[in-house]
Formats: sequence, C-alpha cells, structure tokens
Amino acid sequence: MADDQKFLADIQSDSADTRFAAWRQAGEASPAVIPQLGKLAAGQTGVGKASREALTTMVHSVGKDPASANRAGVVRGLIAISGPDYPLPVRVHALRLLSDIAAEDSVPPIAKWIGAAELREEVVYCLERIPGEASNKALMAAYKDAPDDFKPRILAALGHRRAPGAVGLCLEAMRSPNKDIAVMGARAFGRIGKKPATAPRYPDIKGLSDTQATDVMDGMLRYADAQVKEGNMAEAMAVYKGALERPQEHWQCAAVIGLARIGSADAAAAILSKLKSDNRTVRITAENAWKSMAGTKA
Amino acid sequence: MRRRDLLKSSAAAGGAFLFDIVPRRVLGQGQPAPSDTLRLGHIGIGGRGRTHLRPEAELGKALPPTPGQGGDGKSLRSPAVSVALCDVDAKHLDEAATRVGGRPKTYRDFRRLLEDKNVDAVHIATPDHWHALMTIMACQAGKDVYCEKPACNTIEEGRAMVTAADRYGRVVQVGSQGRSQVAAWQAANYIRAGQLGAVSKVTCWHYASPVGDWTPDSDPPPEIDYDMWVGPARWLPYNAKHTHGSFRWLIDFGGGQIRDRGAHIMSIASWIMGADNTGPVSIDAKGEPPRDGMYDSAVTMEVTYQFKNPDWTLVWAQPGTPSAEIQARYGAVYQGDKGRLTVTYGDGANTATDQKVKDFASQCDCGKVPRSPGHNENFEQCVRTREKPIMAMEAGHRVASLCILGNVGFQLQRKLEWDPVNERFLNDEEANRLLSRPGRGPWHL
Repeated sequence: MADDQKFLADIQSDSADTRFAAWRQAGEASPAVIPQLGKLAAGQTGVGKASREALTTMVHSVGKDPASANRAGVVRGLIAISGPDYPLPVRVHALRLLSDIAAEDSVPPIAKWIGAAELREEVVYCLERIPGEASNKALMAAYKDAPDDFKPRILAALGHRRAPGAVGLCLEAMRSPNKDIAVMGARAFGRIGKKPATAPRYPDIKGLSDTQATDVMDGMLRYADAQVKEGNMAEAMAVYKGALERPQEHWQCAAVIGLARIGSADAAAAILSKLKSDNRTVRITAENAWKSMAGTKA
Repeated sequence: MRRRDLLKSSAAAGGAFLFDIVPRRVLGQGQPAPSDTLRLGHIGIGGRGRTHLRPEAELGKALPPTPGQGGDGKSLRSPAVSVALCDVDAKHLDEAATRVGGRPKTYRDFRRLLEDKNVDAVHIATPDHWHALMTIMACQAGKDVYCEKPACNTIEEGRAMVTAADRYGRVVQVGSQGRSQVAAWQAANYIRAGQLGAVSKVTCWHYASPVGDWTPDSDPPPEIDYDMWVGPARWLPYNAKHTHGSFRWLIDFGGGQIRDRGAHIMSIASWIMGADNTGPVSIDAKGEPPRDGMYDSAVTMEVTYQFKNPDWTLVWAQPGTPSAEIQARYGAVYQGDKGRLTVTYGDGANTATDQKVKDFASQCDCGKVPRSPGHNENFEQCVRTREKPIMAMEAGHRVASLCILGNVGFQLQRKLEWDPVNERFLNDEEANRLLSRPGRGPWHL
C-alpha cells in the first residue's frame, strides 16, 4: 500500500523524469492503483500521459501469460474505468487496453456499452480482438438491436473474425434493402468463407455504385478462394466462371488466377479461352496461369 | 520473336527490365503498346506525393528517371501523365493541379478516383495508416499500385495487401527506392558474389526520433477533411503536430524512424541477404519512448533480429555510429567473415558505398543481380510487362514486418519469438493480438 502511494505520487510528480521512472516500473504496482490512474489519465498533460503509460505498462506486464497472477486484477480494474464514471478518453483507453488482454469472461461487462453512441465504435474494436465464441455471440446479439447505420460495422467485425456462426446473419444482411448493409453482408460472407446450406443470394450489382459493386465482387472472389482451400471446387468454379464472363479486366484476371488454383481440365479449358483475349493484361495473366498449371514457371 | 520467347528471355534476364519498345502489332489489335502513355492517379499529394507527379508538359520530352528514385541516369522515362489527383487537403490538391497542368480530375475522396476508368495505375503517398486499405481497394478496382513505404502498419495489413495483389494479378511496387540506387545494386553484386564471405551481421544505424511537446488540439482547418484523414485509425482530435509530416511520431499513424527510414535501410539489407520472403525468428527490442509530450514512438531503440537458415543477425540501432570516420547520418554495415562493407543512407541519390565495391562492379559480370532503371521506371515497365517489380508486395510486406516487429517488441519490452512462415508470435498471446488493428467506421480490410 505504501508502495502504491509512492507510485501514485511519482506519477503525479512535477518532474518528467520521476514520472517516467514510475510508469516504466508500473508492472510491479498493484491493480488497486488502476482507479486512481483512471482519474489522472484524461489530460493532455505530463501527468495524464504518465498515467496512461502506467496503465499500458501494467497490461503489458501481464499480457504474455494468460495465467499470470495479476491479470484478473488488471482486467477488473480496466473494466471499472471503462464505465461511465470516467471521462470518455479514459474509457476509450481502457477499452483499447482490454482488447489486448481481456478474455471471454470479460465480454459481458464490455458488450453492455455497445448501445452507447459515443463508445460503440471502441466497444466493437475491443470485442473484435477478444478471442473466442463469446465475442461472436455478443456481436451477433448486438446486431439485432443496432441502428442501421451501425449494422455494417458489426458485420465488418464478424467478417474480420471469420465467425462461422455469423453466416446466416450475413445472408440475411445481403437481402437488406439498405445497400450499405447488403454490401457489408457480402463482404463479411466472403471473409468468413463458409459454405451455407442454401446458395448465397448476392446483392444485385446493377443497383450499386462502382465501389459497392467492387466490394460485392471481391466478397464473391474471397468466398471462391476459400472454397478452393476447402476443396469445394464446384462451388468455386461457378464463381470464377461468372467473373470470367464479366467485361472488367481485373475480374477476369482474378478468375483466371483462381481457376489455375483449381487446376482441373474444366478450369484449364476456361483459361484457354482467355489465351487469345483482346486485353493484353488478361492474355498475359492467362499465359502465366497456363504455364503454372503445366508446371513450368512463367 | 514470338511472345512466349520474349517472355522467356525476359524471365532469363532476371526480371522486369526488358520491354522498352515493343510495337503495338506484337501485342494484338486495339491494345496499348508498352510505349504508350500510362495514365496515373495520385492519392496523397503533399510532401512525398508531389515528387511522383508527371506533368502534362513533360510528356514527349526525353527526360532522365525521376530524381532520387535511382537508376543509371542513362535510360529515359517512359511516357506517363498524371490524369487524376486526390487529397483530403484542398490546398495540396490545388497546388498539385497547378503543377501538373492540363486538366487533371481532382477528388477529395479516393474511392471516386479508383472508380475513374481513365486511370491505369495509382501512386499512394498518404500517411502510413492508409497504405494498406488504399492498396487493397485499388487492386480490387483493377489499378496497379505504387505505394509509398512502409507498406503497412500491421502484419495483418501487409499479408492482406499481398493477397489482394495476387488475387487480382496486380503490379504493386512499394516505394523503398533504395534498392533502385546504383550503390545498393553494386553492394548487392559484391556481397552476393561472396566478396565479404559469409555475412553474419548487418548493423543499421540512424539518428533518434523527436521527443515532441504538448500542442493543444484544435479544430481542423477548413481545407482538410479530417475524418477522412484519420480514416481507419483510432480517432484523435485534430492536432497540427500529428497530421501531415508529423504523423510518423505516433504509433497509430506511423511509428518512428524505424518505420520511416528503416523501411529504406532494412529494405536493402533484406534484398542483399535474400530475406524478402521470410523473416526473423526472434526480436529483442530495447529503447526509450518520449518521457513527456504527445508522441509515443521510440526516441531511442536498439532492435536485434535473429534470422535462421542462413543464420545472421540484423541490428537496428537508433542512434548508432558505425565508426568515427563515417559521417553519414544513417546507413548499414555488412559484416562478413572476409571483410566488411558500408552502404550509407539507402533511400535517395546520396546512397553510397565503398570504392572497392564500385571497382568490383566495373570488373565483374554483374548480370546476376537485376538492375532497376529507377524505382518509378521499374514500376511503369512492370505495369506494361506484368512482371514483378524490384520491391514487389511480398518484399514490401516483409520489410515493413521488420519495422512493425521492432515496434511491437519495443512496446511490450520483452524478447519475442516469431514464426516467419505462419507470421505468428510463439507463446505470447498479447503480442499476437497486436498483429492486427480493427478499422474504424466503414474502413476495414
């Protein structure tokens, strides 16, 4: 306790060198100092910086080993200062640090702030980084009640996490009349890359901006690439052949490259049709793919 | 010559440096010949981005390669013109448009530039935290990309950039132009020819990062779309001391000298040592952050990277001095069992090396190491040939990884073990969470 008092006094010292020495040693401080550090951490001042750095050092000191003795105490302290009694910058800092070390048991007290407009972005950031199914479930539960302008952010998190349980949610999102939600649904679906029980129905590209259409096609190509890795060649082939028929040169190239990974006679036949393409980039890509399939390096 | 033979001879020559003049008829009806003009878009046209502009008035003139971008100074620039410009700062946009001349399209939102069908390839010279997302989105939009260094801010970003370039068959050059400098090429020839024997250690040195101070946050100036400037990174209130050139002293946006110049000096080391497709097995970083002020990247640091098969050590020393007689403010010393060699600087035209290396280059059969005609020129040639450029995306990612791994080690203040194949830390859960940073708002990998 006496050490904690000295530590907190040093953090508040007028001397930058004293503050620095204190924050560098913060890994040895008790988690009991976290609430006080939280009160000091908001300012754009030397003391504010020393307090934030001390919290960060405490996190790093318990970060390597999930079973370390102080870890639970540090996490509890951070959850406490992520609450509404603390200024917003401190809550944000606490959530960032929790994203480095929090485990599944911390998800409920973190996820409960997802409805707070000023904090929701940081809550999703934090949940996105916490391993395990609890975060996926919390994000999917939050999606149901989220306003439309925030649904794409949650879908992005689920896609980034490759959450297989979110495939149904993505399929549902792809059918949304809200284009931002529909496009992000396709993006997330492609990133998860899991074959659903029923065929995916992608948003109609015709009604989308070029950037949105590009996002949807990219989601489809990512999905196809994932199917190749899973050995679902027929599923992948259908996507690549569709892309091959598009006028866009780079979608044709992506299809050719994907088909070469499949490596079947059917895939070779599709690539063959592009060896005489009028487009030079497509033609060179097809030549290189052809050579790679034949086992000779381009 | 048949096209296939031409491709074979190009590959045999070691890369991308052949197609200077190929007539349209060789390539098929309706296609642009390689000598035709490349139409460039530019995203980020402040300090660095300005140097990539290709004014309309220069088109058709016989000009040497872009100054500072390397090459032998003899070959001439292939035709290219800047047709589209984008910046979140309206002042930058106006200045660049005046400089380019003609009637370039101007955009505040890079997505609109990527939708522009009149653009063949893009130069990305934004702050670091935008590099990955813009490169990936450019590949998705079918553009070839010259992206400034360092390639990315996280390991996950770099791998996603490699995947995007591969998925769409795009040419991506990362702007570590050191390897396009003549002295770097001479050093590569010398070392790869065994003149130093087995190289066991490369020591890079550089002066320290600034300490910084406290400057109050303020409203962004009206010419800057600040929300777009922050983009995928953590939201911070506007501050003139962390935008534009100063972004690099904050880990969220940049990451200090090890990223800024490390991506040059260590790029040459990675190239010479044949490490462009791999990484270290351990990282031991020590150093000191600013004791006060708003910046958080290392003021001083020493990072030791250990490589295996072959075994060698890379050191980033900030500051560090190789010897009393070397005056250069940064560079690298290559230590072999038969001797040592210095390559000073390693980014611009001031890159230099020892006289013995220049003498060797004039005597030896130096066809073994590909020689770049200049970093921009190499990129533009590869856009035409679809070959890999000298600093292709995988190399860009691996070099940026060195910078990132050094910073992660510095932040965590512990020795880290790294699996360069799977790109994961061993036995360190927290370090592995630092491999990625979720994006903000609509900006996600």
